[in-house]
Amino acid sequence: MIWLKCKNWIEERYDIAELKKLAKSKLVPQHCYDFLYYTGGITLFLFILQFITGMLLAFYYIPHVDFAYESIIDIVTKINIGWFFRAVHHWGAQLCIVFVFIHLFGTLLTKSYRKPREFIWVTGFVLLVISIFFGLSGYLMLWDERAFAAVRVATGGAGNLPVVGNFIKIFLRGGTDVTGDTLIRFYAFHVAILPVLSLLLIGLHLLFVQYHGMSIPVSIEKKEHKEEPFFPNVFYKDMMIWLVVLGVVVTLAILLPPEIGLKANPLAPPPEGIKPEWYFLFMLETLKLFPGTIYGFNGETIAIVCVSIGIFFFFLIPFIDRKSMRGEKSPIFTVIAIVFLLYFITMTLVGFLS
Amino acid sequence: MKYFIKILFPLFTILVFSSMAWAEEKIPVFPTTPIDVYTIYTSLAVFWLAIIGLIVVIKMKLNEIERIQKLGIDREDNKAPLLD
Repeated sequence: MIWLKCKNWIEERYDIAELKKLAKSKLVPQHCYDFLYYTGGITLFLFILQFITGMLLAFYYIPHVDFAYESIIDIVTKINIGWFFRAVHHWGAQLCIVFVFIHLFGTLLTKSYRKPREFIWVTGFVLLVISIFFGLSGYLMLWDERAFAAVRVATGGAGNLPVVGNFIKIFLRGGTDVTGDTLIRFYAFHVAILPVLSLLLIGLHLLFVQYHGMSIPVSIEKKEHKEEPFFPNVFYKDMMIWLVVLGVVVTLAILLPPEIGLKANPLAPPPEGIKPEWYFLFMLETLKLFPGTIYGFNGETIAIVCVSIGIFFFFLIPFIDRKSMRGEKSPIFTVIAIVFLLYFITMTLVGFLS
Repeated sequence: MKYFIKILFPLFTILVFSSMAWAEEKIPVFPTTPIDVYTIYTSLAVFWLAIIGLIVVIKMKLNEIERIQKLGIDREDNKAPLLD
């Protein structure tokens, strides 16, 4: 009875029937690559999970150099199921970045970025950068020796960029070195600036997807293919996949809870065998390929410039790939995508195993 | 079987995980008391059962929707007479 009254109350004010009609009219193509459509939904689900667990952790976390590490230990050891939410937040972040990468490479290989969907690619790419920065800023929250050294290396690496490098380094660190100021700055990024930016971009990304509809790979576009309504068919399938992902995150959180190292000491040397988060490994291994100096120039600076050019080229692919723009097959960009993917996987594995 | 679940299983898990946790004086990032370990693993098993149950229910519902869509009886009939 109350439910009916509420329903009537809402329906008197808003045209729900029209919204339902709109949701049912959205069609999703069915083909052999349609599993890639679900990777975007999984990423969105993981983002939501990160927001919820992050908000819960924020109740107890103290973003101060003297208390940050202790507050995390309190969350893990004293707060009721605090260890669980921290572990879910950790594994949610890892899987979120995995699925952002799968979604990105899927888009690249099926040429879903082609005209008129360039802005979907742009917003998605910026969301990838934001996700990685989420990871880096969240990593420092722990304020243990590994996080401290990793952020020192990452911000130092950014400092090697010519012209703007030093500005970026000082801006990120809030000074010349990683200190308590960096922690506060990263906390502000992690809980205020990046969430607002990501919400805006997710909104834009979804809006563009709704506006243009789902993309169909060039090889299938001209063939006959089936379509199914987004609501309820694809929505229910999304639900099932989200449940499995939730189960995986929870299982990982219970079976492999993330470790906490020793408290960061700015005066101590970095611990041996230190490695950054897995999504930075390909960059680290690329830096190792370059010698210290090349024709009198700093090798690290040249390496950072090369990686930046590679990433910038990656970003510009929708605007360069003319054949896809015309709706033709473009094998060159398929090869480029595979090379990028193989390089990323190989270098990450090399970094992981070395 | 009951003894295994109630005593041996938590004892085994606590021995394995606690030895891993305290080997290098690491901070315990997972509850260490046997009853907590037992509760957590049991809850995880129940959680997965619930997920599988929900997936089965959603799948059944989806199959029913697809069957109705195939029959075409979900579409609105514009020529249907209106009852005042």
